[in-house]
Amino acid sequence: MTSKQANRQAITLKGSTAVVTEFFKYAVNTILFQREVYPSDDFHMVKKYGQTLLVSQDPALEDYLEKILKQVQKWLLSGSVTQLVLVIMSKETRTPLERWMFDIKLVEPPPDSKEPAPPKPESEIQSEIRAILKQIISMVTYLPVIQEATKFNILAYTSESAEVPTGEWLDADPHAIEAGKSQQVKMRSFSTDIHRVEPMVAYRFEPEHGE
Amino acid sequence: MQPKTPTRHRARSDVARTPLTPSIISGINNVSIGSTLGASPSKKRTAKTSSKSSTSAFDTTNPFIKPPSRSQSKARSNSRPGSRPASPVKFVSSSTIPVSEDLQRQAGEGVIRKGGIESRLDVVTRDYIPPTKKELKRSRSTPATNRDRFITTRDTESEVAPTLEQMHLNPVNSSPGHTARLVEAIGVPLNRRILSYHEPPPATSVDNALAKQIECVKPLYARPGSLSSSTGAITNKTRKIPTQPERVLDAPGMVDDFYLNLLSWSCQNTVAVALESSTYIWRADSGNVVQMGEAPEGSYVSSVEFSMDGTYLGIGIGNGDVELWDVERGQRMRVMSGHQSQIATLSWNQHVLTSGCGDGSIWHHDVRVARHKVMELLGHSGEVCGLKWRSDGEFLASGGNDNVVNIWDGRLGDVGEGARGTAKWTKRNHTAAVKGLAWCPWQPSLLASGGGTNDATINVWNSTTGARLHTLKTPSQITSLIWSPSRKELLSTHGYPTNSIMLHAYPSMDRVAEIRDAHDSRVLFSALGPAGDVVVTGAGDENLKFWRIWDAKAAENAKKKRDDGERRTNSTNPHVLAIR
Repeated sequence: MTSKQANRQAITLKGSTAVVTEFFKYAVNTILFQREVYPSDDFHMVKKYGQTLLVSQDPALEDYLEKILKQVQKWLLSGSVTQLVLVIMSKETRTPLERWMFDIKLVEPPPDSKEPAPPKPESEIQSEIRAILKQIISMVTYLPVIQEATKFNILAYTSESAEVPTGEWLDADPHAIEAGKSQQVKMRSFSTDIHRVEPMVAYRFEPEHGE
Repeated sequence: MQPKTPTRHRARSDVARTPLTPSIISGINNVSIGSTLGASPSKKRTAKTSSKSSTSAFDTTNPFIKPPSRSQSKARSNSRPGSRPASPVKFVSSSTIPVSEDLQRQAGEGVIRKGGIESRLDVVTRDYIPPTKKELKRSRSTPATNRDRFITTRDTESEVAPTLEQMHLNPVNSSPGHTARLVEAIGVPLNRRILSYHEPPPATSVDNALAKQIECVKPLYARPGSLSSSTGAITNKTRKIPTQPERVLDAPGMVDDFYLNLLSWSCQNTVAVALESSTYIWRADSGNVVQMGEAPEGSYVSSVEFSMDGTYLGIGIGNGDVELWDVERGQRMRVMSGHQSQIATLSWNQHVLTSGCGDGSIWHHDVRVARHKVMELLGHSGEVCGLKWRSDGEFLASGGNDNVVNIWDGRLGDVGEGARGTAKWTKRNHTAAVKGLAWCPWQPSLLASGGGTNDATINVWNSTTGARLHTLKTPSQITSLIWSPSRKELLSTHGYPTNSIMLHAYPSMDRVAEIRDAHDSRVLFSALGPAGDVVVTGAGDENLKFWRIWDAKAAENAKKKRDDGERRTNSTNPHVLAIR
């Protein structure tokens, strides 16, 4: 029993990275669908995490996300990525409208415990992820309705020392939303034995009579 | 307005010595600007001398004025040369004449002689200094690191223009202590980068034309009952129909036109089909094909219809002629002309051949007499595309492109060239052209009519009372209707997008069965075989398909009839059908 646990413990970094990467894939797809960045015809239903999710079947988009997530996975393995941000902005003016932020933290074992904590059951992780995805879907109800055509961008906040494939990843504008025009909502988080992902959304909200 | 150089020199020296009237002061003011603005070769020298003279002036007239050299160098080094295009006037006036508060106050009070110029110049400097000052302030006293670029809510500037330099919390820009405190306060590691993939995400809508097409097609898909996923057949549990055609005949050149009626099946078990300008007879018994002549040069066959006994074939031509052919001999008996437009539909009642014309008129032709036109029925404003006599000749139903269904009294009273008939009922419930019309064989008062693309509705009428008894919305254009002779069922053929054959129960109007995509193109024509079991359909995909729709019952009937000892000779025998 103990050896089994130890075994599980040993593979966790890779496993955890895979879990986190996969989560991003579905989270990004869910956001792109829910916020109607891409036409809903492009999405098809898949069963994942015990629920139905909509995933893009546009090959160009699939390919694009694949490339990004591949690199994110590398960064996760080296622990050099601290945040991923999905920015939804106006297609015409490039004004950022929503920022979906995912803080990625390394879970540190409590200093007083000598034995490693028992591994977290996968079902628990899945249910946490399910809760986040459900929350994303439910957010549509109170996020402002986006009237204009939008596009998105994905930003990775990495450490200075992170290995960056030259020419593929470039330093970028954070696409911040101006203070006073933005509201933030923190969402549920999930954690594996190694990583902890804390999502948050900031969206442009200007009161009717403001400015 | 540019004063000449000599004046400049004189004015400058005058200012140093004598008090001036306001008018002169303004003049001088202009002069001093002009002196620096001018692109004359003496510019350099002028600037030099003026700076020199002003320095000396400061020394002599005002002890409070600091020598300008420091501020001048400072101003120079701070921002000017780099950030602004070298506008000489601004540069010189600001650098040569330092603006200290003392001087401004004194100048305002007019204490010093030179104050006139100084204050004026001050006005000039104020005009352009503010932007510079702001720049200075931003780069010097407000380090970029003061603003938190990672937590958006704390961002105080209305416009964030982040640069790489700002991203890095560059310690060069602020004191190490400040950076440390900042790092501690916001809890982010110092050396952080924001990266994004070098390619932009794929565009939302790839193809504008495609999007437009999708938009156009959408209403068709939005129709009730059109399930995008299903192709093939849907059949009821209690009622199964073959979902594959029993036989397929090639019909090259079949015209894909909703309004025409190019298919007929006689009680002698021959199928007539018009392919462009030719009409062919296919004998189901033998599989032989006979050509029934050609339409006149430049025209085409727009409708075919067998007479009730199957010995004659009426052919409607695109130029308005109605031809009568002897099927057995393959000869044309006569041509009945008079219509001005294409004959889209024909229907027989004994010796009367009724033709529906493109101009909306309906004529009864008595084929036995020379003056063939015995009555004209006017009740359509659009092309007549559906025409059906009730089997007993009591009523004639017509449908037109004007979305109207008319039911006419079939009895011919006054006959002759000028005789006019009137419609017994005129129904305007359809919202598209009415082509599909069918009289019920087992309840003579029932008439079914089906509308085109925008309507796609089947209505069932009682021809006696004029009441609409049933209505059924279908997924697509109705091109033809056939009542089953043996069952309480109604068959409808459909156009895009389902291209289906549907079978409805009567009177519930429930869907009994459906063959989706029966043809590759819209199903345009249909005809029932003489045995009442097989239906032939024709479509724009240039195929004729034979479907055994009501087989079970027919087989039952046949069996019964065999038992009774009277075998029908003209029932559609699948064995015979398979000969060819």
